[in-house]
Amino acid sequence: MEAFLQPGFWVFVLVMAGIYCIFALGLQVQYGLGGMMNFGHVGMMALSAYSVAILVITYGWNLYLAAFAGVVVAAFGGALLGLTTIRLRGDYFAIVSIAFSEIVRYVIQNSDNFTGGTRGSLAIPSKTGAFTSYTKTFEPVLTKVQDLLSPILGDVVNRDFAMLLIVWIVAGLLLLFVSRTQMTSWARVLRATREDDHVPSALGKNVFMFRLQALIFGSVIAGIAGVFWSLQFSILAPEDFQTIVTFYAWMILIMGGATRVKGVPVGALFFGFLYAGTRFFEFPPFTWFSSSERAYLRVIIIGLVLIILMIKRPQGVFGKREEMVLEQ
Amino acid sequence: MADFIQLLFNGLVTGSILAIAAVGVSIVYGVLKLVNFAAGDFLTLGAFVTVFLSVDRHVPFVVAIFVAMLTIAAISVALEFTIWRGLRKSKAGTLSLFLVATGVSLIVRQLILIIFGVGSRKFNVDQVKTYQFLGAQIAQAQLVVLIFASATIIGLGLLIAKSPIGKGMRAFSDNPSLASVAGVNVDRIILATWLISGLLTGLAGVFQGMVQGSFESTMGWMLLLPIFAAVVLGTIGDAYGALLGGFVLGLVMELSTWSIFFGGVPSSYKPVVAFATLALVLLVKPEGLLGYKARSI
Repeated sequence: MEAFLQPGFWVFVLVMAGIYCIFALGLQVQYGLGGMMNFGHVGMMALSAYSVAILVITYGWNLYLAAFAGVVVAAFGGALLGLTTIRLRGDYFAIVSIAFSEIVRYVIQNSDNFTGGTRGSLAIPSKTGAFTSYTKTFEPVLTKVQDLLSPILGDVVNRDFAMLLIVWIVAGLLLLFVSRTQMTSWARVLRATREDDHVPSALGKNVFMFRLQALIFGSVIAGIAGVFWSLQFSILAPEDFQTIVTFYAWMILIMGGATRVKGVPVGALFFGFLYAGTRFFEFPPFTWFSSSERAYLRVIIIGLVLIILMIKRPQGVFGKREEMVLEQ
Repeated sequence: MADFIQLLFNGLVTGSILAIAAVGVSIVYGVLKLVNFAAGDFLTLGAFVTVFLSVDRHVPFVVAIFVAMLTIAAISVALEFTIWRGLRKSKAGTLSLFLVATGVSLIVRQLILIIFGVGSRKFNVDQVKTYQFLGAQIAQAQLVVLIFASATIIGLGLLIAKSPIGKGMRAFSDNPSLASVAGVNVDRIILATWLISGLLTGLAGVFQGMVQGSFESTMGWMLLLPIFAAVVLGTIGDAYGALLGGFVLGLVMELSTWSIFFGGVPSSYKPVVAFATLALVLLVKPEGLLGYKARSI
């Protein structure tokens, strides 16, 4: 219960909400604009996060260069997924996209000499053979931000607080950028393809290319989320990138209303507090369960919230109902 | 050659389990147009209920299996009344159905962890006894699974081909409006679909648990993706296709580890092989082995 009153805990929750906000924004582009039900979104985040760690540790790259490369790798992942599967009908696409992210996870988990396998990024072989952290060059940046802010804001400023600012500034810029693109003719064509393939094709629009672009755009955003994930945690493990993470992003998107960009940060904050808040259920019936069992209960509660949301209010907080039910 | 016989046999065992589970997923898709993401976790639940009854409560193994199958079927039918019927009435889109099914799957998996605890379990079956056949080692558990799974598959084939329920199900998945005009009782077909799918899912879970030896709460999820691959391979919604897809996939997964193929694929990559097969089929023949169009653009 003590953690409930500590600002440090809530700062951490806000950092996670920010990373999830960026991550879900990628889905917003793919589904909200392009109507693609990508259930393998977490695969792109895994590709980018692991690329950062491997390039820095094994190949000794500069962290920022590695971060850029991580985003590029995620974009290539999106292109690969798109080129092979975009022509498939919605439900097939969803199944194959899950398969894609699970394959990424299997490969990470089983390539011990490249990704560290089940032991995680700590076991990535380094150039010198010695243990190295890939975030070494990023920590001074966080310290500098802390030094700048602590005279003004006092004790609340710590490493996570500096991270919080950086993550949410990037999230804000991306939100602004994505909401600007909503007004372009590119987005209008995509919205048209979401409703119906045939009309835009008849007007000479290459539906395949538009969808591929949206998929890559969304993957780039997921890649950026992956970079922040890797910076926030300093250690990566294959089980961080399970399909459930994609499911959380869908939950954020649905809560905010799938077709509304401004719904994404609202959904992300709501999700962050729901996810963290369930830690503090220290009253019956929750006290009947042990603390590890309560971790399972938390996922059950999140699952129930989503099911009830889909039944009672499929359009989310800001969404249009017609856009959810007339989809087929 | 002994290697080949061994892998062929393993492939048939894996294939028969995949086939049974895939039919369960495929008939639900055919009748309800629902991709049942929860199938994998219900598979696990079937195995855990069986192990709880037979090992912890000393209920005879066969009785425990039947109770487990009925439990999964009962839960499936209960979910139809509480969730799926309402969603269909409100004309929920593909995405809503997907997300609700994923939500159900997460809840079932966590409930398994809470009720049955973390850690792996084992059935009280002889894991050691093996038979020699043309140089291959055949475990007793595998043989038992293969025999009973084959019997189930034959029975299932007859049920779908001959019984009024099977005919109704096929008619309904081909053309729902025509079927209801022709006097097919829609509600009965839907209930029968959930019931059969639940029974099959529970049974497949027990079989998989027996073959694997020990199993954990993630068993079904690991198997779900190959099951989907089998369903798509055999044309989504087609029960016979799912049977065929299951066997093809089981054989491909096991034979891919054969050392004459460039040393063979490491066996931890078997699910990756399942997906590579799926991706290849979707690229070359997207309608599946037996089916109609799956592409839209």
